[in-house]
Amino acid sequence: MPADPRYGAEVLRRFRELPGAGDLAPDASSAVVQGHADAADHGARVLLSLRVRRGVVTEARFRAYGCPFFIAAASWLTERLTGVSRDQVAEWDWREAADALEIPPSRFGRLITLQDAVRAAAAAWRG
Amino acid sequence: MDAIYLDNAATTPIDPRVVEDMLACMAPDADFANASSVSHEPGRRARARIENARFDVATLVGATPEQVVWTSGATEANNLAIFGAARFHRPKGAHVVTSRTEHPSVLDPCRRLEREGFEVSYLRPGPDGIVEPAQVEAALRGDTILVSLMHVNNETGVVQDVGEVGRICRSRGVLLHVDAAQGAGKLPLDVARDRIDLLAFTAHKMNGPKGMGALCVRREPRLGLVPLIYGGGQERGLRSGTLPTHQIAGFGTACRIAAAEMTEEGARITRLRERLWSELKTLPGIWLNGSEHRRAPGILNVSIEGVEGESLLLALSDLAVSSGSACATLRGEPSYVLRALGRSEQLAQGSLRISLGRFTTAADVERTGERIRTEVDRLRAIAPSHAAATG
Repeated sequence: MPADPRYGAEVLRRFRELPGAGDLAPDASSAVVQGHADAADHGARVLLSLRVRRGVVTEARFRAYGCPFFIAAASWLTERLTGVSRDQVAEWDWREAADALEIPPSRFGRLITLQDAVRAAAAAWRG
Repeated sequence: MDAIYLDNAATTPIDPRVVEDMLACMAPDADFANASSVSHEPGRRARARIENARFDVATLVGATPEQVVWTSGATEANNLAIFGAARFHRPKGAHVVTSRTEHPSVLDPCRRLEREGFEVSYLRPGPDGIVEPAQVEAALRGDTILVSLMHVNNETGVVQDVGEVGRICRSRGVLLHVDAAQGAGKLPLDVARDRIDLLAFTAHKMNGPKGMGALCVRREPRLGLVPLIYGGGQERGLRSGTLPTHQIAGFGTACRIAAAEMTEEGARITRLRERLWSELKTLPGIWLNGSEHRRAPGILNVSIEGVEGESLLLALSDLAVSSGSACATLRGEPSYVLRALGRSEQLAQGSLRISLGRFTTAADVERTGERIRTEVDRLRAIAPSHAAATG
């Protein structure tokens, strides 16, 4: 895939390789919580799956429909959330992904959809 | 590897035969002189180049050379037609009819006319993109002075029945302006037969140079226009400015080639487009945008469920195609053309316009079909299903 100046190198790499894409299944020693958010009419839909063991996220996966920035941010998030507690998940803020991936302001609305999914996962974890 | 160029509805590469004729008007020993300087031989040679081109451009669309007014492109030609006709004929009325799927170079002048006190009716096409002539007829009023309808839609490739609309308009004494930027040189057009009063088109959509267009203005009976540009009085006072001899010569050559090769080339490109659609339509959740049968040879527009347009475009970086994606436009909105056809926001976002041209090969089409299928499958594989996302 040739370079495209509209996207940073990390966005392009994640869009190309899709690290963290997929699903998780619960096993005997862990649970899987999910959080979803749907703003498909605005070009964003995401499903996050978090494997939870002894109070922390040990693994995360995503499924996403959206622009390249959104897909790259969902991929980045699977690594960002690994190792964090339930409270830290609940407090995650979309601006962190915007800074890490240098996402332009025109796409911030989609990152809020990502944050909605994270909050939904935290709520499911509490439940 | 260079991208496969499939964005010929945006612009086309210049045909080498056109380049050759343009170069003959540029170098110090070529026909570069000011065509208004007919007092000397170089000026007269430039003038001859321009008048030869005027003949070729007029012939392509069934006009006489006297009808041709040179412009900088179809945008200027559309502006001159709409503003020029509306302002000149305002004493007769202040109502204009157009459609919701026109190019911005028509819609924006219409909105501007509204601020000047005109009333504009925007017709909604059917789901196939077609504006029925009966819709136009029903929209005409006693104070209607102008109908503006495009020949071929730039996004979908849908062809409007401008001949029947011309018959209706002429019988009601209403001017018809046709934006033929996408149709001229691809499909037969005849301003006399089709009773088109104002026809706008451009060189760069038919393998000619960018920055060159024409407006064919009805001469019998003479149609009055208020100019947009004043200055040296060129083009019978309708469009002042020194004539770009090389651009005009290139436009003329492009029109001459199009006239000679249109039938054969149109058939070849239509076969390639149909082959591509045959390949793509086996994908589940793919929709053809616009009428399957009333379309220009080279434009295929599809919406693909479960795939966002900008992501698909990036994944298909080895193909030069375009999208109606929210993210791909400066306006940040899905294609207004596809929305006018009743497509959902999501399908409008997941649209892809593939436009074939003179230099598109069968191998290009085969590769394009494979690449689109591969990337659609890849992006769909990571998309959450509606069921999963809604719990």
